[in-house]
This record gives sequence, structure tokens and C-alpha cells, in this order.
Amino acid sequence: MKLLKPSLIALSLLTSCTVLADKVAITNTTIYTAGDNGVLTNASVIFEDGKIIQLNPSVINADVVIDGTDKILTPGLISTMNQFGLVEVGAVSTTRDASAKKASIVFDPSYAYNPETSLIPFARKGGITRSLVAPSSRESVFTGQAFTIFMNSEFDSVIDTNTAVIANFGGARKDSRASSLLELIDKLEGQQKKLNDEILGKADDKKSKKASDEELTLTALLDGVKPLVASASRSSDLLHLIKVKEEFGVNVVISGGEDAVRVKEQLAAAGVPVMIKVVANLPGSFDSLHASLTTAGELEKAGVKVILYSPDSHMAKNLRLDAGNAISYGMSPVGALKAMTSNVAEVFNMNAGEIAVGRSADLVLWSADPFEVSTKVDTLWINGEQVSTESRQDKLRDRYISKENKPRGYIKP
Amino acid sequence: MRKFALSVTVVSLAVLSGCSGNEAQDPHVTINKNPYPSTYKSMEQLTVLIKGATVLTGTGKILSDADVLLENGVIKAVGSNIENGSAQVIDGKGKFVTPGIIDVHSHLGAYPSPSVESHQDGNEMTNPVTAEVWVEHSVWPQDPGFEAARAGGITTLQILPGSGNLIGGRGVTLKNIPSPTMQGMKFPDAPYGLKMACGENPKRVYGSRKVTPSTRMGNMAGYRNAWIEATEYKRAWEKYERDYAAGKNPQAPERNLTYDTLRGVLDGEIRIHNHCYKAEEMAMMMDLGKEFNYHPGTFHHAVEAYKIAGDLADNGVCAAMWPEWWGFKMEAFDMIQENAAVVDSYQNSCAIVHSDSDTTIQRLNQEAAKIMYRSNEAGFKIDEAKAITWITLNAAKSLGIDDKTGSLEAGKQGDVVIWNQSPFSVYAKAEQVFIDGAKVFDINDDAYQAKSDFLLGQD
Repeated sequence: MKLLKPSLIALSLLTSCTVLADKVAITNTTIYTAGDNGVLTNASVIFEDGKIIQLNPSVINADVVIDGTDKILTPGLISTMNQFGLVEVGAVSTTRDASAKKASIVFDPSYAYNPETSLIPFARKGGITRSLVAPSSRESVFTGQAFTIFMNSEFDSVIDTNTAVIANFGGARKDSRASSLLELIDKLEGQQKKLNDEILGKADDKKSKKASDEELTLTALLDGVKPLVASASRSSDLLHLIKVKEEFGVNVVISGGEDAVRVKEQLAAAGVPVMIKVVANLPGSFDSLHASLTTAGELEKAGVKVILYSPDSHMAKNLRLDAGNAISYGMSPVGALKAMTSNVAEVFNMNAGEIAVGRSADLVLWSADPFEVSTKVDTLWINGEQVSTESRQDKLRDRYISKENKPRGYIKP
Repeated sequence: MRKFALSVTVVSLAVLSGCSGNEAQDPHVTINKNPYPSTYKSMEQLTVLIKGATVLTGTGKILSDADVLLENGVIKAVGSNIENGSAQVIDGKGKFVTPGIIDVHSHLGAYPSPSVESHQDGNEMTNPVTAEVWVEHSVWPQDPGFEAARAGGITTLQILPGSGNLIGGRGVTLKNIPSPTMQGMKFPDAPYGLKMACGENPKRVYGSRKVTPSTRMGNMAGYRNAWIEATEYKRAWEKYERDYAAGKNPQAPERNLTYDTLRGVLDGEIRIHNHCYKAEEMAMMMDLGKEFNYHPGTFHHAVEAYKIAGDLADNGVCAAMWPEWWGFKMEAFDMIQENAAVVDSYQNSCAIVHSDSDTTIQRLNQEAAKIMYRSNEAGFKIDEAKAITWITLNAAKSLGIDDKTGSLEAGKQGDVVIWNQSPFSVYAKAEQVFIDGAKVFDINDDAYQAKSDFLLGQD
């Protein structure tokens, strides 16, 4: 009985949090839509049941009205290639679930995901409302598949699994870089032949069986739907990956792309998006001799779809500041915002990343310019629900700056 | 010729002592404390007058509409209505001027870019105590990271060995100018540093090999044994000096490179730079200093400094901190964003913001800005004049060069950054950087943008 009680309370609290009743309006604010509507001043938005239902209506009809005067509203930022809920402490092996010993094209790390990780509340301080969580390993070509989460720390926060295939190309310690590309091409050719044989009725009836997970994944790649996030930096590797898109119709997305400026026209022409770590501007290897703070801006100008990402999950909140630095070095503010919102949503098929009717109400109201250090998150909504940005770090701070005259261990903010 | 000259000296010495009537003294054995001396020469020193800028002095003051005059390599004057007929005048309207930025914790040159096998020269992980290694012997001056840091306003930086060992070796302080040699960058007359490391790294490196230290108590035993031997070494040399001065002919102690360095700490000539995250470990390291009579120096990566900020101030130690690196190890789990502000709130404190990164060293101003703004949101009242001290004067204090650089005061070295706006903005850029009154970087003039040999012809 004693055990039952607290869990009942917890349950009832949970339900009260997830009730989606109110129609909420944010008014008198500057809205960066990250979409076709551009920047709207003195504007308003209304959302209900987790979706944006009205943009700039003539009459505000809502249960809750939030005045956004002097503030800026943007879509919630979407981080990518993080390991939220997969790694708590990097050096603690039992909290390290981002890579499989036998990694493969079908490894699904969402089975390891912990929504109650301490990293997610801290990341919310940076206005991140969604994340593409990816397996991480350099030991094999295919590391597995990414999944998509709401950054609301709820048990039902996984939105989508098997969102994209993650793979490594370029300089490797143990093998020629050619082997990685050949492994990908072999798999695609093999599956393509199998599919053609089926169409032509050549498939051997005795051998025909239910398609394996790997075969289904390869088919999804060949359909051009499921993105293949290919980590690569050197221009020659990027050209080979462009060729993979052209020959097999695979939806190739480059991550890293330190030397992408060398082939920016080819990337733009092939419609291959590039995910950039803004601050990775040093020649960390012979694959990245052209790394520069200007890369994001140069790619944007060349017409490449850019996504900004910051792979250190513990410090994911700094993504907006990375974007600020990209702006300092030539990216447009609108382009930088899209590179953390609508571009991500478009590439990874999310109904988010833009303030538009019908989109998920993932919203951040900022105290001022979202890219500036002095700015903070004023209010944040995920799927229409207001979510706190308080984290464990705040409690530690409050314990130690408390004026209470007793041992710190007894002070529990 | 050289040999001949030497033997003549020996002969004449012998003759000399023979006359005194005592036992003949052998030549005095002296240890050269500076065998790899600085050959640094400043670049062309300019007479520059920056007019009408906002000046953050590094001493806690902010001056608006102020002038700064650089002449003969030094800061000649800071204030209002400064005139100089021969100076090149820079319009400082709308701009900020700060002291050159100092990073007390860098591995540039020792772990350079590209980060290839041949370049892993920062951690001599073959013995838990390697006080005998000097990281200056690993520095590759062509690391493109030096140029990138200069573009971020870094004029002085300390290169440290890594943290794999209990005592990892000597650090070196460099002026951030392009040079084909380490000696050409070496900050003249800067004291040496000695890297020590607490906690997880040394015990993991050696514990995984089943040798000591494999625990935190093993770490402490390792430091203590090293200091015991260093103390004996110091005594032996001091006895030798005493006896020699008394006219006896003592045999010089056998020279030991490891203890030469540790003795330098005990003699107050070499400063401790101690990788140490946790409150309880910093407290023990301060006691360790008392046990062996040396100053505990600066704690680096002091993630938990806020838990014992009063003790740190009372002991006169500096704490070098990140804004928010955390979670990669257990000892980095209790990070708070306001750490430096808490440390700074105590009298006699010495709060520093450091990088330990070839990336964030390029934006140490933004690192300080993050702490300032997040702390003020939590109720602190840190202004720009205060926050700049974390990456200038306090850093200079830690390195023992605050009499030479770290603030804009008349007579100090002309290490100056002109920013396009407040350096605490994400849009801030260092427009011009001066070291010893010489322009070493200009964002608008390719002639002042150096390029490392490594990148030349490859881009």
C-alpha cells in the first residue's frame, strides 16, 4: 500500500501534464517563421492540441494569451547527431549505449534510450525542442539508425525510430577508405539486383522468403526516402557520395563536410544537404585541410541546404551560439535559423521546424536575438506543452550560493 | 680550441685552490636553469594611438571614449585626450580595446592539427611521475592552431603536457607570434609551470596496466613519494652549496632531471598547474603543498571550485575553469554555469577562464561572456570590466607574468586587442591584435594574417 501511493501520485501528475486542453496565443511579438512567411513583426500565433492552428489571425481567440512584446519567437531548435539518452557520462561504460559491438545498418539504439537523462533539461536552456539521436562509432562503416525525440523528458518522447541510416566514410585507421565506399555500393547493387529480379519474376521460388531488416533498409534507401547520413570530409569522398545519390537514388546527406566548399557547386546541383560543425575550423586531418568558419556561409550562398550541428550532447545548448558564429562569418541570420529548424525538418521528414499552420507547436520565445550570448530562453513549448528549462545544475548552484547557515547537504533547492 | 680553453680554466682553478692551503676544490658544479633560452624578438614595433574607444583595462575598470598609446613596444598611456604627433591613429569609435587575451591551458603545438599519429606529443605516459619532460620540446610551431588563436585575440598562452601522469612535466609560456622555433615564441623571463593531475586520468592510465596508481589514494601516495625524494634532492644540493661556499671540496650530488624540476617548485621558481576537478581533491592538494612547503599554484578544470571557493581564496590559489564542459567523466558531473562567478565573489580570489581546446581558445571572450550572462541571470552582478579579468590579468597572475602583461597600464608590454564591438557578443571579432606593440593580426589586411607552413600551398 505504501509503495502504491507514490506511484499513483506520479501517474496522476503525469496525466495532468499531458492534458492538451488550452488554446494558447503568443501575441505582439517578432516571429522568425523559418519558412515562406519570413520574419513577421508585431505578430501572433495560436496553437492547440500540439499544433499551430493560426498565424497572425485578425482576432485573438485563446484561453491563454502570452504577451511577447520585445521578444522573439522562433521554431524550437532541432539538434542532430546527438546521443541524448544514450550516453550519460562518457567515461562510465554502463551509461554508454551509443554504439553496438556488432554495429550494422539495422542497429536501432532507441531500445537504449533514457528520456530521464540529465542532459536533456540542460539542452533545453539552448532552445532545443527536438533531436535526431544517432548511434556513434568510427569502428565500422554502418553504425546503425538514428531516431527522433521530443526534448521533453517524457516516457513517450520517441517520435520516430529508424529515421536515418548513419555511416562513416573517408580516412579510416584500419582499412583503405575505398573499402567503405565499396561496401556501401556492393550492398546497394546487391539489393537493386534482388529487387529487379523480383520484378522480372526471376527470383528463385525456393529461396524466396520474407525480406530481412537489412534488405528492407536497403530498399528504403534505394527508394530515396530514408536519408543516408554519410560522415565524410574530403572533397574526393564527397564526390563519390554524390555519385551514389545519382546512380542509386539514395537520399545522401553529408555530415562533417569540412572540405565541402571545394565541391559546393556539385553538392548544390545534386541537392545533397550538408551538416556542418560551425566551429570545426582547423585542419584536424588531411581530409579537412579547408575547414573554415566561413564554410556554412559559403555553402549557403552556393545553394547547398545546410544543417548546423554540434555533436557534443552535453553542450548541445550552444548550438544557437555556433549559429551566431556562422553569421559572424558570412551566413545569413535567416539561413542560420533554418539550418537548425526547417532544413532539418525537411531533410529528416519532421512536421516541425517552422512556424506555420499545421506544424507541431515546438516554439521558443527568446528574450532577444536568439543567436546572441546575452539572450536566454524566456519560455519554451514542445508539442504545445510549456516545458521548464531548469536543470540539475541550477539546483547545485542554488545549494552552494544559499545564504542559509547550515551544512550544504541539508539545503535542497 | 674550446677544449683547450676549458682545461686552462681547470688548471688555473687548481693553482688557485692550491695557494689557499685547503684541500683543492673541484670546479663548482652549476646547473644551467635555462638551457633552451628564449630567442623571441618582437615584430616591428609601431607607435599607435587608439582614439575614442571603450577600454576594458583588465584591472577592473571600463573607460568610455578613451585613448590607448603604444610606443616602443609598451603601453605608454591609457586615458583621455592623449596626443602623439608621430603616432599612427586608429579611430576607436564604437570599438572595444582590451589587453591581449591569455590562455593558461593549451596543448597547441603538442597536440597540433592535423591530429595524426606522428603528432601525439603531449602525454609521456610511460611513468606516473615524469617531471623530467618539458613540453616545450614537443611544441611544433607550425600548428595552424596558433594562427587561429591569434585571430581570436590570444597573445600569450601556456602550453602544458597532458594529464595522464600524476606529475606530467614542465609547461611553457609562449608569445603567440609565428616562428620556426619554439624558442622564438618563448615568453622571455616567464616562470616555468609544472603540470600535475588529480583524479580519474592518472589512475585510469596506470590502473589499466595494473601498476600504481590505480586509485585516488594511490595518486596521493605517488605525489607524496615524489615530493619526499625531491626534498632529499634539494637538501643534498643545498648541503653541497654550503660546503663549497665554506671552502670544502664536496662531491656534487648526482644530477637528476626529474628532481631538478620538482626542486624548482620547492624553491618557488616553478609554478604548479594542477588538473584537478573535484572539491575534495583540491582541498587535499592544498594540504599537500603545506606538507611539502610549496605553493599549490592554479587548479585547472576546477569544475567543483564553487564548492570550496572560500578555501581557494584563503589559500591564494587560482582556479581556471570552463563555462560548461561537463559530463564526459564522473569528476566533471557537478558542473554549474556560474562556477567562475562564485569563485570570483570571494576576496583575494583568482578566477580564470581557460580553454584546453584548439577550438574554444579562438573564442575565450565568448567563453567568459557565457559565464557573465548566465551568472547575472542567477543574480550575480558581473560587468564586462570584471569578466575580462578572467582571461587577462588573472591569467597573467597564474602564470607569474602579471608584472609584464595582462592589463592596459602604462609600462606594460604592448599586448592589445581591438574588437569590432563588445568582446562579450557572439558577433565580436578581434580586428587588430598587437604583441609588444607590433601588429600581429589585422582582420582587414591579409599582410597581417600569417599562415603556417603546413597549410601553405595546400588550400
